[in-house]
Formats: sequence, C-alpha cells, structure tokens
Amino acid sequence: MSTGPYNYSYIFKYIIIGDMGVGKSCLLHQFTEKKFMADCPHTIGVEFGTRIIEVSGQKVKLQIWDTAGQERFRAVTRSYYRGAAGALMVYDITRRSTYNHLSSWLTDTRNLTNSSTVIFLIGNKCDLEGQRDVTYEEASKFAEENGLLFVEASAKTGDNVEEAFLETAKKIYQSIQDGRLDLNAAESGVQHKPSQPGRNNLSNDQQTNRDNCAC
Amino acid sequence: MLSIQQDVYNIVQAKFLAAEIVKSIHLNVSVVDGPLENNNRILTLVEYNKSFALFVLVSSRVQPISFSDLSIESVIPLDQNFSFETEPVRGQNYVILIIRYKQNRYEFKIEIGKESCNFAAEIIHAKEVSLNSSTNFTWLEKYFGTMNQTNKNSNSSINDQNDFVIIRDGMAQGQASINRESMLKYQLKLREPEFTQKQEFTIFVGTWNVNGQPPTASLKSWLSCVETPPDLYAIGFQEIDLSKEAFIFNDTPREAEWQKSVMDGIHPNAKYRLVALSRLVGMQLAVIVNNQHYQYVKNVSMDTVGTGLLGKMGNKGGVAVRLELHNTSLCFVNCHLAAHVDEFERRNQDYKDINARMNFRRNPQAIKDHEQVYWLGDLNYRITDLTNLQVKTLLQRNEVTTLLRSDQLNQQRERGNVLLDYVEGDIAFHPTYKFDLNSDIYDTSEKARPPAWTDRILWRGKGIHQVHYKSHMELKISDHKPVSALFKSEISVVDQNRYRRVHEDLLKKMDKHENEFLPQVTVDQNEVVFNSVKFREPQSREIIIANTGVVPADFEFINKLNESTYCKDWLRIVPYCGSINPGEKCDVRLEVNLETDLDNIDDILILHLKGGKDMFITVSGSCQKSCFTQSLSTLVRIQVPIMHSKKEDFNSARNNQSPILYSVPRELWLLVDHLYRHGLKTRDLFESSALHEELIRIRDWLDYGSQDPLPGTPQAVAETLVLLLSYIKEPVIPFELQDVCIAAASNFQNCRQLLIQKLNDIHRTTFIYICMFLQELVKHSNDNGYEPKTLASLFGDILLRDQIRNAKPQASRGKANFVYNFLVNDLSSSLIPK
Ligand SMILES: Nc1nc2c(ncn2[C@@H]2O[C@H](COP(=O)(O)OP(=O)(O)OP(=O)(O)O)[C@@H](O)[C@H]2O)c(=O)[nH]1
Ligand SMILES: [Mg+2]
Repeated sequence: MSTGPYNYSYIFKYIIIGDMGVGKSCLLHQFTEKKFMADCPHTIGVEFGTRIIEVSGQKVKLQIWDTAGQERFRAVTRSYYRGAAGALMVYDITRRSTYNHLSSWLTDTRNLTNSSTVIFLIGNKCDLEGQRDVTYEEASKFAEENGLLFVEASAKTGDNVEEAFLETAKKIYQSIQDGRLDLNAAESGVQHKPSQPGRNNLSNDQQTNRDNCAC
Repeated sequence: MLSIQQDVYNIVQAKFLAAEIVKSIHLNVSVVDGPLENNNRILTLVEYNKSFALFVLVSSRVQPISFSDLSIESVIPLDQNFSFETEPVRGQNYVILIIRYKQNRYEFKIEIGKESCNFAAEIIHAKEVSLNSSTNFTWLEKYFGTMNQTNKNSNSSINDQNDFVIIRDGMAQGQASINRESMLKYQLKLREPEFTQKQEFTIFVGTWNVNGQPPTASLKSWLSCVETPPDLYAIGFQEIDLSKEAFIFNDTPREAEWQKSVMDGIHPNAKYRLVALSRLVGMQLAVIVNNQHYQYVKNVSMDTVGTGLLGKMGNKGGVAVRLELHNTSLCFVNCHLAAHVDEFERRNQDYKDINARMNFRRNPQAIKDHEQVYWLGDLNYRITDLTNLQVKTLLQRNEVTTLLRSDQLNQQRERGNVLLDYVEGDIAFHPTYKFDLNSDIYDTSEKARPPAWTDRILWRGKGIHQVHYKSHMELKISDHKPVSALFKSEISVVDQNRYRRVHEDLLKKMDKHENEFLPQVTVDQNEVVFNSVKFREPQSREIIIANTGVVPADFEFINKLNESTYCKDWLRIVPYCGSINPGEKCDVRLEVNLETDLDNIDDILILHLKGGKDMFITVSGSCQKSCFTQSLSTLVRIQVPIMHSKKEDFNSARNNQSPILYSVPRELWLLVDHLYRHGLKTRDLFESSALHEELIRIRDWLDYGSQDPLPGTPQAVAETLVLLLSYIKEPVIPFELQDVCIAAASNFQNCRQLLIQKLNDIHRTTFIYICMFLQELVKHSNDNGYEPKTLASLFGDILLRDQIRNAKPQASRGKANFVYNFLVNDLSSSLIPK
C-alpha cells in the first residue's frame, strides 16, 4: 500500500462488526464524511475508510475496515479480524436479534484478535427511541460483564459516533503508553511511523537556536 | 551562484519530510575515480530530532529543478561508526573527502572554498551533537524500506544490519503525496481569518551603532521610554566590537555585555525573556518577549549574512531573527550597510545580498516571505549634495523636511533601488550621526562629516501602525544616537476552539482526499449464479470490473483465511489479477468445470484492490448428478439411470444402505459391452480424443437412460470409459492399497492374493471385469494394435489413479507392472465371486 511521507505517528487498524443492517457502514460514513446515508446498500465485502485524528497530541491514522454483516459472509469476514487494534461491535437497539447475536460476535473477536484489542460496543440507531427493543441498562450490563466499552449512538444524528471512534483510539494509545500493547508484535494492529510532526514547540527550537549560535 | 545554491537547497529540502531538516548541502560533488565532469552528486546533511545522516543524492540534471530530479544514492547515519577526513591533492583546487562507515569507504572530490569549509564544519558539529545525545535512526528506515533489488540486505532493520549504508536505485519514491503537513499548513493559512482574530501587540524596535564602545551607560532612557511595557523588543546594535579578533574569530565578550545591559534596560514593569540573539562580528540583534507571550512564540530561527570584505566578511551585512508570534510570522533584520557618502549603490547591493542570502532553513526561508518585516540598523545612507555647513544651518532652522529630500535612502527608495515596499515613519528627529563622543555636538573633527540619518527603522506588512519614531540624545557614549520606534502591530491570535474546528475540517477534507485516492471499482454483479452445472460441461459467466476511482486499480482475487487457493477447484478465474486504469473496465471470466460429486457449488471470492477495499463475489449454482462422479458402491446399488433415481433411493445407495443390485456398475457394463461389440477391432481405440459434444451425449445417455442406442463412435465410448474410471469417487484400486500393489507387482500370485484379501467385492469384480475386457482387446491386437504392455501402462494410471488430479502420474511403471499381471495371466473364475 502506498503511504507517502507520513505525518502521523501511528496507524491503528479498526474493524466494525455486527449483524447486517445494524448501521456499520453508516457509522463509518458518519465518522469519515459527517454524513448519513439513508439508504445504504448492504456491504458485500469489506469497505475501507481512513481518517487522521489526534490522540494526546499525536496524530493517528485510523484504518477502518467495515465488514459485511450478512451471515453468509461470516466465515470470510473472519479473516479481517486479525491485527485489529480496535473492534467496534455494533447492534441495533430496535432489533433484539442483533443484540442476541453479540455473544457470537464477541467470541469471534476474542478468538481472532489479540488480548489487547480494544472492543467497543455500540448500540446504534438510538434516534429511534420509539422502536427501542433493547434497554440501555441491559446492554450496559452486558458490556460491563464482558469488559467492553459501551455507548448508544446514532449514525443518523451523529450522536456519540465521534466519541466511540476516538475513545477507542485513546484506549489503544493508553495501552501503548503503559506497554500493554507490544508495537513489535505483528498483529498488534498498530504501526508506528517514524516522523513525529507537530513538535515545533518552543523548547525544541530553543535547542536548535543554541546550536546555531555556535557559529 | 549563491542564489543557485539557495534554489537547490529548497529542492533538496522538498525531498525530505518537513521535520527532517536539511542542515547543509554541498553541490557539484563527484566521486573519485568517476569521470570528472560527472559532478552531479549533492552531499546533504539532514537532521531529524537531533539525529543526523549524510545523504548522497544524484541529480539527473546539471541543476535540479524539482526534487524528482534527485535520487538517493546512499544514506550514511552519523553515529559512532561514522568518520570522515579530508585529503588535499597537491596542486589541485579540490580536496578528497573520505567518509568511512563501518567497512565502507566513500571518496568524493569537492572544490576548496567556503562551501566546503562550511559543509565540513556542519558535519563536525552534527557528529558532536549526535554523539552527545542518544539518537535514534529509525527515521532513516523509510529511505531504504523502498529500495529495490540493488541492495539485497535492504530489508533487514537498521539495528541488525551490519552494513548499514544503503544504495537506492534511480528514481524518487513515494513522493506522490507530497507532504500532507505542508499542504495542511497551506490550507490553514488560507483559512486563517476563520479561526484568528487580530490583536494589537506593541513592538519596540531599537537600533544603535555603539562605535565599539562598551556599555557604560544605562539603556533605560532608550529602551524604557514608553509608559506601558512593550510586548516584544527587537534591539539591534552595530559595531559592538571593532577589534580584529572579533572580525576574524567572530567572537567577542561584548555580546554578553551588551545583552546584559539590554536586559537591564528594558521596561521594568514586566518580565521579559530572550527569544533569540543573532550576531555577526559587530552586528547583534536580540529579540525579547514579554513573558506572558513567550509560549506563543514558535519556529524561531535566525541567520546572518556578511557583505563586508570580499563581499562576505561580517564587518558589514545583516543579522536576522524570524519567529511566529501566535499566527503571524515576523522577521527582524538588523543591518550595517557599506559606509561612505558615495557608496550608496554598494549599500543598495548589500541590501539585496542580505535579502538573497538570508536563509532561515525552514519554511518560510526568506525575509520577504514573512507577514511582517521590521528592518533596522545603520543603513549608512547619507545626505548628498549639501555641505556640512548647509546641513547644519538647515538643522538649526529645524527644516528637517527639506533636509530629508537630500537623504540618500529616501532618494534610493523613491527610485526603487532599496527597501522597495517598505514604509518608514516621518522623521522628526535630527540626524543621529555623527557626534563627538559624550556630547550632542555634530562632528567637529578634521573630517567634519556632515550629519546623516544613518540609523533607521522601516517596516513592511499589514496592520502595522507606528506609534513613535525617535532618537535618544541622552545616550552619548557613541558617535551615533540610538533610535527607537514603537509599533502597534496586528497579530493574528488563534482562537483555539475555532482553530480546532477548521483544523479538523481540513483534516477531514484531506482525509476525504485520501479516501478519494483510494482505488475504487465497481463490479456489475456480486452474485454469479450458474444453473445446473453438469459434469465436465464448462459454463462461464463474465463479470465486469469498472474502475470508478481516480487512480489505477490493481485488483487480485485473494485467498480466504486458511485457504491456499483463491477459489475452489471447480472454478477458474481469467484473469485473476490485473490493473485497470480510471474509467476503464476489465472483463473477468468465471468458468465452472465440475469434476466431482457436488449437490451445489458455492464459493465466496474476495476481489481485493491493492491499497483499498475488498469486495465479495458469491458464486453459486446447483449441480446435476452424474454417474461419473459417484463411487462404484453407489453405482451398483442404483437400478435406473441416476437422473431417474428417486432422491431417497439415491441417498440410501450413496450411504451403502440399499442392496447391491449389480456386480459391476450398470454404466460400466453398458460401455464395456458396447466396446465388446463395436470396438474390439478399432485401431488406437483409447488414443484419439472425441468431440466434446459426443462425450456429453454419451454422458447424458448414461445419466438419463434412453431407448436409443448408445451414441458416438467406439473411440468416444472408449474415452467415456476412461473418464468414468478416472472420475469415480474412489479409484478401482483404492488409494490406500496402491503402495502394496505396486510392491507386489513382480509376482502374480502375490498380486492375486492382495486382490482376494484386501479388495472388497465390488472393486475386485470391477477390476477383473476391466482386465478381462482388456485381455479380450489383446486377442485382437492385430486389428487394434494393442499389446498387453501398452494397455497395462495406459490403465495402470487409471485403475490406480493418484489422489491429485492433473499432475504427472506417480509410480506409473509400478502401476503398469501390477496391471500387466492381470493381462497376461489366466483370470480363474475363483477371483470372481458368484
Ligand atoms: N434511524 C437510523 N437508521 C440508521 C442508523 N444507522 C443506519 N441506519 C439505517 O439502517 C440501514 C442499514 O445500515 P447499514 O449501515 O447499511 O448497515 P450495515 O451494518 O452496514 O449492514 P451490512 O453492510 O449489511 O452489514 C440503512 O438503511 C441505514 O439508513 C441510525 O443510526 N438511525
Ligand atoms: Mg455495511
């Protein structure tokens, strides 16, 4: 893949998983384009999106893989879990079945990613309060029991979408900081890039100034 | 020449990331032993975060005009393994620069001169800095990460590479997405009004030619002459040291002394901090900022330019400091231009040289590229065409305006020869030169120089308002009087919230750009359905992959996890990979050829775009049953043609649950019987290939059954027989028995024994049945030309076929030997069960 000169320090790989129609593609689209797609076709494959964000002053490029949710692709999409630093697991709060399937998605995630992968549970379509089929409390409890981060979000209104993606990145970044995530492991889902831009602060410059002064 | 170097410098910098700063370059370098005119190397010293490396660049043009003209030949890190020396060559104007890195040795010819001295000095300095800090060279990885074949050890990482020096082939790599960072910077600048607001800052600019005197008087009356403490000071001196030592070594104790008196003299009602101090011989410029603004000062950089003796010594010239205050770039230039009344053209030239050569080695690099420039110093322009007396008389009458008409600077500026598009405030003060020391009296010496406004302050840029412009008569230690100007300057201050919004928006737009540059294709169908796939009757469908993106799309069908092929064995994809240009299409043919017993075909293909998304293409279809892919044990259990057998009947036959109805499969008997009657005398019975349609007709005749006679020539029927024996689920001699059979092949009794003991009835009977037919053929060898040996080797590979189809058959000779036994020996009835 052609990466030109980097101006970000890290690349984090994310996957978005969950039953079909829960809004995975819409969430990705909302995050990368700030738009809602009212009639989004089923994803038949794995869509690829990217966005550069900032985490603790570091630029991070998110590489997001939005997988097909249809059951018939389940076996194939399993190949995409590998090397994900973050997994956004999505269900639709208006369809209980999508919630009931979470344990199977979770099993896949646990089996196919490594222990440091950050898993974020998203209850999507929270704008459709009237059609709610899964309570916040119930999902929240499920998340807690399984050690997942959790929000209810809406790809339509944009509510909590940004938060979910950014929180995940923050968590990953923390894992790097406290050494839980081994950057050298091939499957960490994180790549460190050599250049560290945005460090033009004064103290650095003072340093160079002094060097120059010697002449 | 120097401006050429500046141009090249900019081009070289463009080859690197913004954070990788090109510290020094040396042009026109040739490799020793290479042809002399081949001086197309550029040595480049690059720093990233205190770690330095020397890059040897090759320019494809005499003068590179773009960074793509440059390619990186070698990269040499300045770590403890690096050493260099120079070796003079007698009678030549060049030296040999020898660089050693581990076991590598590089020799370059460089011309002796200022450029080479500077370059060498920079390397020495860089090496010192490198050794004194724990440096990290991982930033170099990318410069050999993209290297190709030329250097085999390029893949290993820096640390374990014992020969670190790397060679890269001709072309510039990875530059397509030129510096996102600078793109962002540019876009941010365009949208600056959206996230900044103008805020007035007071900037106090002072200049004083101190005539080599030490600071014996307090500077308060000059530097603290304003009521409220200024936000920023730029204080320039000229002639702080007139000694030879200062001139030659550019080192003087006066720097610290004057700096101290400046710090003591600036406004007492605020705390200040030095931002930068730039000095060249006697010229010194200090930029000092009110503490409260210190954190908003960024990207400080400075440079000096000597225009004195030989056009480059530091007795004249300029020193400059540039910085960004909040979001506005400021540049301060303190100059001391050529002396003497008549030398105004020299002064103009000095001014031009300072502009041309001042290089801040970062973006922006030149004085002119700053939003606000404050130009101060002893510009040395005099009053012309008037005698000393006339000047003094006019001054006594306070006719400053008249006098200013004779000011060379005003005249030269009017003619556009110097400081074009700079502004100077009205001069209300008397000339600041030349005074008798410790007095306010103009020169009374023999030379009796007429007074002149040598000391000036000008500016350039938007939103600058001058509050005062005056001289300070109280300071008498020099033959010049200090001058000061106070400015109220509009600085764009960033609103962090709005900045974040714009920044985010830009990033998003750029990301979108990035997303747009991802390869994009559409396929006209994600689901390819085949109807009724039949044994060995290929069908194909075409899918159209259209490149809807803006970059060429390299596609490839890739393997699924844990699979070693990109599609199932019944499918062929042509082409399975390729490249499609934007706006173009590629037809991909999916061809199904069924050779195994499947109820359905089902596969999910992954169409991968290099650097982009993956698309799934589902291939499916139902398959038609055929006798060819069944097992012998199934076939002997079904009574009617396979297509007419009821599902339950077929399933129980398949599961060996229904009774055995035939001793050999009905289909086999039909074929063999046909050949008995019509083919025994046919020459080359098994060696001519039939028409595809013929085979399909026979297949359908067998699978569906018919009142009509078996269609096709004896050869076609013979081929069908071979096909049937080749595709039935388990070969007549099952895989697991083949090795012992081959081992026993030299002895008929052993072979016979094996057959009786190990083979089940169905397989044994079928085997004997075939062999008896082959013996029958041998009887007619006069007509058909078949010897037992030929038939044995032909049928050895079929009756004992390998597990892997379409590969070169294994142990053919052994198999043939085994079968041969049964073609030349009497097959007593004991072999065949009742
Ligand atoms: N009201 C509402 N509708 C949504 C929201 N998110 C998605 N949808 C709708 O739900 C449908 C499915 O959304 P997609 O994003 O295509 O679902 P998906 O998870 O990507 O589905 P697959 O690609 O089949 O796995 C679309 O019609 C969307 O318009 C939401 O937050 N609120
Ligand atoms: Mg989708």
